Order: sequence, then C-alpha cells, then structure tokens
Amino acid sequence: MDETKQAAGCENGKGQLPGCAPLANPYVPGQEWGQRYCRADALAQGTLFPELNLPFHLAVQGNAVPKTPLSELQALCFVINELGLYLDTHPEDTEAFQLYQRYAELEKEGRKRYEAQFGPLTQKATAADSRYSWVDNPWPWSGKEGN
Amino acid sequence: MFVYDKKLQYPVKIKNTNPRLASIIISQYGAPDGELGASLRYLSQRYSMPYPEVQALLTDIGTEELGHLEMVASIVHQLTRKLSDQQIQDSAFAPYFVDHTTGVYPTAASGFPWSAASIGVKGDPICDLTEDLAAEQKARVTYDNILRLSDDPDVNDVIRFLREREVVHFQRFGEAIERVRQRLDQKNVYFTNPAFDK
Repeated sequence: MDETKQAAGCENGKGQLPGCAPLANPYVPGQEWGQRYCRADALAQGTLFPELNLPFHLAVQGNAVPKTPLSELQALCFVINELGLYLDTHPEDTEAFQLYQRYAELEKEGRKRYEAQFGPLTQKATAADSRYSWVDNPWPWSGKEGN
Repeated sequence: MFVYDKKLQYPVKIKNTNPRLASIIISQYGAPDGELGASLRYLSQRYSMPYPEVQALLTDIGTEELGHLEMVASIVHQLTRKLSDQQIQDSAFAPYFVDHTTGVYPTAASGFPWSAASIGVKGDPICDLTEDLAAEQKARVTYDNILRLSDDPDVNDVIRFLREREVVHFQRFGEAIERVRQRLDQKNVYFTNPAFDK
C-alpha cells in the first residue's frame, strides 16, 4: 500500500448510506476516496482498493503476478480501468481524476516502450513498424509473451 | 466503436492440460451468468439509460467484461492444448469434444448453449441496474464454485482475479443506482420510468 489516507467520515471498508432512506429501494453504501494498493498489488488482487478486496475462503492469498514487461503494462492499464469505473460514479472527485491523469501519462510511456520492444498492441500502431507485424504471433490467448 | 488491444487484462498462463477443468470453466464463457451475457447485458442496457455517467459505467463495465470473456476463453484454450485420445475418452470433456473438438464455444457446463433469455434489458434504469447487481452476484458465486472444483493454481489465480472484479462492479452498480435515485421523485422513485415517460 503506497498511499494510506483515511477515508473521510467512515472507517475503512465502510461507506455512507442516505439517512432516513425511502423504502423499497436498493442501497449500496457509496465508496469514499481512501487507501489504494500500489499498481502491482492492484493487478494481483483484482482491485485498486483494499476495502473492496473481499476474497473467497478458497482463494489463493496475496500471490504476486510475475514481473514481466507485459505484466507491468497490464498493471498500468488495470489501474486506469479501475480508476475509470470509480470516476464514472464519482466524476466530481478531483483527487481521483488527478491520479487518473498521472496513470494515463505512465501508461502512454509504458505502452510506447513495450511496443518498441515487442511489437504493436493495436493494428494502428503497426504503422510505426518497418513491416506489417500485426499478424505476428503471439496472440494473447496463447499464454506466450512478446513478439 | 471498439478497438482491439493485443493483450489480456490479466496474465493467463496455464502449464498443465486438464480437460475436466475446461468442461467446467466453459460455463463462464457461455452460461447464464457468464461473461458473454454480462457484456451484452450492460452494453445493451446503455441505450435506454437516461443519465450520461451511468451510460459511461455500462459502457466501461460492458467493455471490461468482453476482456474477461477473452480471459475465460484463454483458460479453456490452454487447458485443452495437446490433448491425448486417452485424456479425452476418460474425461468429462468428451461430450463437449464431440460437438466442438477443442474450439471455444459459448455454452454452459451443463451443455445448454448461450441464450439471450438469460440476460435482462427492461428499459427502466432502477430495474436494469438492480438486475446488474444480481448479475454480478451470480457471476461471483459461479467463480466461488469454480474455486471449489479446481485444484490448479494457475487457473485459480486467474479465477480469483475475475471473481474480485465482480465485487468491484457490484459496488459501482450500487453507486449508480444512488445517482439515479437522487434524480427521481424522492417520495416515489417508481412514479415514472424516466427512460420512457416524458
């Protein structure tokens, strides 16, 4: 965990519900901006937010994803995806958006480095290559990394 | 418009062939509570959702579920590579094999092919988002059950990740309901269907 600011108002793992709430409505407490995992842990745990990490009793605990150029990029993309979902329901949260902007920059650089070494990740990125390498193996479902 | 990124959301590297496990995992590809249904449910619900940030959420979770569909397919594909005749004959995978060889086909583990009858698009914001809460819970329990049935650490590592995503999505859909509710008649949120009534 790299950042440990306590959520305002509620302890970790708790959120606000509306007071005197209308009957016959579904409610889930709203999440408040608080603790985050570092990006490698976020990818390994399946969430950026420790308070949302609610594993099953048979789950393998705390295993790290092996550090490879691909998994480093996956971790950056994962945090952006996770922050994006948070921002969809908290678009007014400026602190979360600043972190989103920082990660978007990191991802842009990380993607550029990865593609320079292993080939294009999108068909369009193939244009920067010396030949049409989009068709090259490996495709992602093979479990192999790099071109 | 969708653009393909030539990578998975999370690494899938299965070392050992295991047709029995493949015959179970295929459920999250094509069963009622699988990733295909999840993706089509959310992406289809967008059009009648009157609120832009909830349209964004349905778009983004629906897109992520497509990525999960690809991860589940990758598990099935890797579990059924280099199968011997004996492995097929002796396993629960034989009924699937006779129809699809080692192709990846959207079906439940029970053999029922994917059906739109298992998803809901009602065209009412509270109703559709409540369906989505239930859908995330059903997918979570399916992943719980896969963890009960699987002893392959390479598979379980990925399943555990996918299961946790369902928990996060549940939270977000719940927050979306609250944003919808705040815009409705506070005395009776069911007075109109804001997706249809003017």
